[in-house]
Amino acid sequence: MSVKTFAAIDVGSYELTLKIFEFPGNNSMREIDCVSRRLDLGTDTYAMGKISNEKMDELCRTLKDFWEIMRTYRVNDYKAYGTSAIRETQNTTIVQDQIAQRTGIRVDILSNSEQRFMDYKAAASKVESFRKIIEEKTAILDIGGGSIQISLFDNDTLVSTQNLRLGVLRIQEYLNRFSAKSFQREDFINEMAMARLGTYKRLYLKDREIRNLIVIDDYLSPWAVKKSAKDGSRPIMEASEFDQLFERLRGRDLGQIAASMNLPEERVPLVFISAVLIRCIGQLMGARRIWAPGVTLCDGIAYEYGERIKLIQGEHDFEEDIVACAVNISKRYMGSQKRSETLEKLTATIFDSMKRVHGLGRRERLYLRLAAILHDCGKYVSLVNTGETSYQIVMATEIIGLSHEERKIVANVVRFNHSGFVYDGQQADSMGREAFLIVAKLTAILRLASSLDRSHRQKLQGLKAALRDNQMILTVDTQEDITLEKGFFEANRDFFKEVFSVEPVLKQRKIF
Amino acid sequence: MSEIDFYDPKYYTNRELSWILFNRRVLDEARDKNNPLFERLKFLSITASNLDEFFMIRIASLKDMVNAKYQKPDIAGLTPAEQLERLDTAIHELVELQYSTYNRALVPRCKQNGLQIIGRHEDLTKKEAAFVDKYFEENVYPVLTPMAVDSSRPFPLIRNKTLNIAALVQKKDEKGELEFATVQVPSVLSRIVELPSGEGGRRILFLEEIIERNMHKLFLNYDIVCAYPFRIMRNADLTIEEDEAADLLKEIEKQLKKRQWGEAIRLEVAAGCDKRLLGILKDELHIEEQNLYAIEGPLDLTVLMKVYGLEGFEHLKASKFVPKQVPQLPAGCVIFDEIRKGDILLHHPYQTFEPVVQFIRQAARDPEVLAIKQTLYRVSGNSPIIAALALAAENGKQVTVLVELKARFDEENNIVWARMLEKAGCHVIYGLVGLKTHSKITLVVRREEDGIRRYVHLGTGNYNDATAKLYTDVGLLTCSESIGEDATAVFNMLSGYSEPLVWNKLSLAPLWLKKKFLYLIEREEKFAREGRPARIIAKMNSLCDQDIIAALYKASAAGVKIDLIVRGICCLKAGIPGVSKNITVRSIVGNFLEHSRIFYFENDEHYEIYCGSADWMPRNLERRVEILFPVDRQELKEKLLHILRCQLEDNVKASVLRSDGIYQKAEKRRRKPCNSQDEFCAEAAEEAQKSAGENAPLTRTFIPETHHES
Repeated sequence: MSVKTFAAIDVGSYELTLKIFEFPGNNSMREIDCVSRRLDLGTDTYAMGKISNEKMDELCRTLKDFWEIMRTYRVNDYKAYGTSAIRETQNTTIVQDQIAQRTGIRVDILSNSEQRFMDYKAAASKVESFRKIIEEKTAILDIGGGSIQISLFDNDTLVSTQNLRLGVLRIQEYLNRFSAKSFQREDFINEMAMARLGTYKRLYLKDREIRNLIVIDDYLSPWAVKKSAKDGSRPIMEASEFDQLFERLRGRDLGQIAASMNLPEERVPLVFISAVLIRCIGQLMGARRIWAPGVTLCDGIAYEYGERIKLIQGEHDFEEDIVACAVNISKRYMGSQKRSETLEKLTATIFDSMKRVHGLGRRERLYLRLAAILHDCGKYVSLVNTGETSYQIVMATEIIGLSHEERKIVANVVRFNHSGFVYDGQQADSMGREAFLIVAKLTAILRLASSLDRSHRQKLQGLKAALRDNQMILTVDTQEDITLEKGFFEANRDFFKEVFSVEPVLKQRKIF
Repeated sequence: MSEIDFYDPKYYTNRELSWILFNRRVLDEARDKNNPLFERLKFLSITASNLDEFFMIRIASLKDMVNAKYQKPDIAGLTPAEQLERLDTAIHELVELQYSTYNRALVPRCKQNGLQIIGRHEDLTKKEAAFVDKYFEENVYPVLTPMAVDSSRPFPLIRNKTLNIAALVQKKDEKGELEFATVQVPSVLSRIVELPSGEGGRRILFLEEIIERNMHKLFLNYDIVCAYPFRIMRNADLTIEEDEAADLLKEIEKQLKKRQWGEAIRLEVAAGCDKRLLGILKDELHIEEQNLYAIEGPLDLTVLMKVYGLEGFEHLKASKFVPKQVPQLPAGCVIFDEIRKGDILLHHPYQTFEPVVQFIRQAARDPEVLAIKQTLYRVSGNSPIIAALALAAENGKQVTVLVELKARFDEENNIVWARMLEKAGCHVIYGLVGLKTHSKITLVVRREEDGIRRYVHLGTGNYNDATAKLYTDVGLLTCSESIGEDATAVFNMLSGYSEPLVWNKLSLAPLWLKKKFLYLIEREEKFAREGRPARIIAKMNSLCDQDIIAALYKASAAGVKIDLIVRGICCLKAGIPGVSKNITVRSIVGNFLEHSRIFYFENDEHYEIYCGSADWMPRNLERRVEILFPVDRQELKEKLLHILRCQLEDNVKASVLRSDGIYQKAEKRRRKPCNSQDEFCAEAAEEAQKSAGENAPLTRTFIPETHHES
């Protein structure tokens, strides 16, 4: 049977959700079942740093039930992800192992940037509306339990993304701790938000004008989806409509809101916090329209699976988003754009010609590209210690779509491009064997490419690479003097040879 | 003009009194000379068993309220004590009518038709007397437990609903004090004993008469001064009725100690019972005058059902109707294939219930079926559905069954087969905390070439193949994607998961259903105000939800034409000027028990029809899980509308509620008689025949093949 069935599990900080999807093979996916059970893991983690035993038992019990449901549908594959509640516990690994032992389900941890990237993909899977909305200046506001993520678009590519610890459950926790009275709540949330958002605006938003706000949350979005399904209204709200809605929320008590919005009462405070945040950020940006597609992490997990098994091909190029983010970071630290572009080209040429030797894939090619773009960001801080400072900058800056591990690879490649290579036995902050090998290979390529543009004058534009026996022949058509490049090329040849057992040879072909 | 308060108690009828009217309509069937004689016996028997249940549940509940000093008036403004007072009068009248029907109409007519019911053992012939005495010694005596009361032996426990014979006895030699003695008429023996046939037809006698006649054999050293049968009804319902308000529950909990468990709430004795004997019974059982029923005839008329079962009187019964084949589902078809061709409506008992059983049976065997989920409320003893579900689990399907243990009087029965299902590997959910699951839904998840497809059966009646032959119900078989999604969500909710974001088609009680009904009624009201056509036709078993009734009044006042077909309780008053002038109410009591719930809303000429498991009662809308489903396919909508129209035409079995609160048989004047149930029988037969004709080979000529492919 060509139809593939897939289960996506979201071990969230507020709720556990299982969605079953079907991929009929016509570039679409269909949700066939969705179960969720409330389980507040977040409060335990955020307040105590660990998940209590009772919650752990309930978590395992529910996951076991999920397992039964998956078995019923005879799913071909599944993916279970834990988000901030699991990620931020002190004993993540132990929790993961316990779940695996007790339920047979392997829960992977999503880093924040991966999680947000998936949410973003889920929103993009609503192709029609998404395409239309990002034609104008757009921001995505992804509201989670622990933190929120604000991402900005520029010409339909995502250019920056920032994480702010203003999650709904976290705010709720504060409100409870300070026992805020109901009339104080709104001001309190606003103040807390603005304290963080002021800086954000100064640094990132500047005078960028945002027209549309895409909201991803588990609180207000479900209601918006319900509403638009019920009265057939457009899922996109004008800012004024949102304000009206907000007014309605403001004046009433929990029971009234729950009844009028047809929501369980316990959800209402969270809906309220979410609404205050949306309003606050919407006003800060001057957004005129708000779109709540009602997508969840599970949709993103499934979408990514669909992409991976090639049953889904989205029209939006997400890799370009990652690259655009990197370019933007480089810009912020005043990296040389021209040199980055040259390096991108050179590394790509070398990488592609070496495919048979290095055995790396598309994803690694992206790391290399990112490393090339970010290769000199550390110069902003220090011209001497560029390796270390670049490493620190990359490690401290979120790149949407890259996991923590992936970011570490990119950061290391950038670092070793400048400073001496450190072998895996000697590293303090150790990484896996595979990651180490990727770093070594990509470093060798980036170093070689860097040496080819040592003068920073982009002399070697028309570089061709060909692998012959144990040699990689790099041919350049240029009239210029490339003595400097040749010199540095020789210097970096040994490391390349050590990593690949292939000798790079630089040939200049002068065309008259 | 001042605003009318549609909630004013004067616009409402008390539900218990309305119920009495319903039982009265059943009694009218027993009194209707147009009904075959034995059917009349059956109807009379039904009124008796109805009344027993009414005592145990409703009267008991009212007594609880009075004991708990609960004063809140009902929908019609009556306190529990006031209700009991009126009920006492109404019930006494009803019982009198039951027995005058029995004595004056049915017994003589039976005699004319060759069945003599001998009321008193004194009327036996000598030969017969000898027969019954022998019968007593051989069959009855060994199972009797006579009990006497004296200073050393306390008054024995008289069991609820049992028939007993009380006697005053006196020691033979001493001629001293009168003593009380009692013996239970054994329920293991048939209560009717047929006498050896003589001339003039068959003769039967009731068992208690045989015992009474032989009483002296039980108390050998005593003289029997007098002996009379008696029967009591107890407040034995240990669960508090879901019908009652939550504040009552609290009140009763508080007063729990004061509640008199097992208190006798009715005493029936033979009329003319010895005063001294009656005095003892009343004292010992703490019976007040108004709860005493002196009966002119045999106690417990449910025995007439046994009389109905006597062989050899088939010509005095209505001809048995055999449910017909559903044309869309010929025998031997693969049900899933047929459902894929389009939604199928089932109309029971006119059409057979077999497809529903087959639906589950085929699902159990189908290798592509992944899961079967079902809610079960009341199931027949040897249910083929249970067997099919067990088989499915054994075949490795995921079977989830919600078994409602709180179904009245069925608890024990349900536990037995629920355990059986569990053993077979089904996932059994034993109901939900605080809610009765009354919805009737089955979901079959099947893996097909183009992905998962869901087949759903939704019904208005229980998954009970036995009652499906007697109750009128409708069911829908569909594989519509939107209903399938909703059905999945229903079972997810029943399994304890969160509610879905959106319901496509189904409306669920207790969370959404009432709102939906109110919305639909208000929508008609809106259309009426705009001067557009507005109409509601609703068929159900009972109507007593105040919010719904008030909404109906409001709609009627706005000009919506409302026709209600309510078999049983109806707290709404029809024909009040300015309030319910546009509302008609009719009740159909026929050979089959009207049970389907169908709701029609005109919706500005784009009419919508819904079916469901819920009546318009607070318990259905607020304390039960119920499902309302729309029927979308045009032919099926027409069919349902036809059912409603036909019932509105009925002038044989229908009674119309007058504005003075009395039900009156529908007018027949100058119209040809229309018995809707008979019409449906005929239609089902015709349809089945037509489709059988289509499926049969049309020709007797052989068709030679003229082409051969090698």
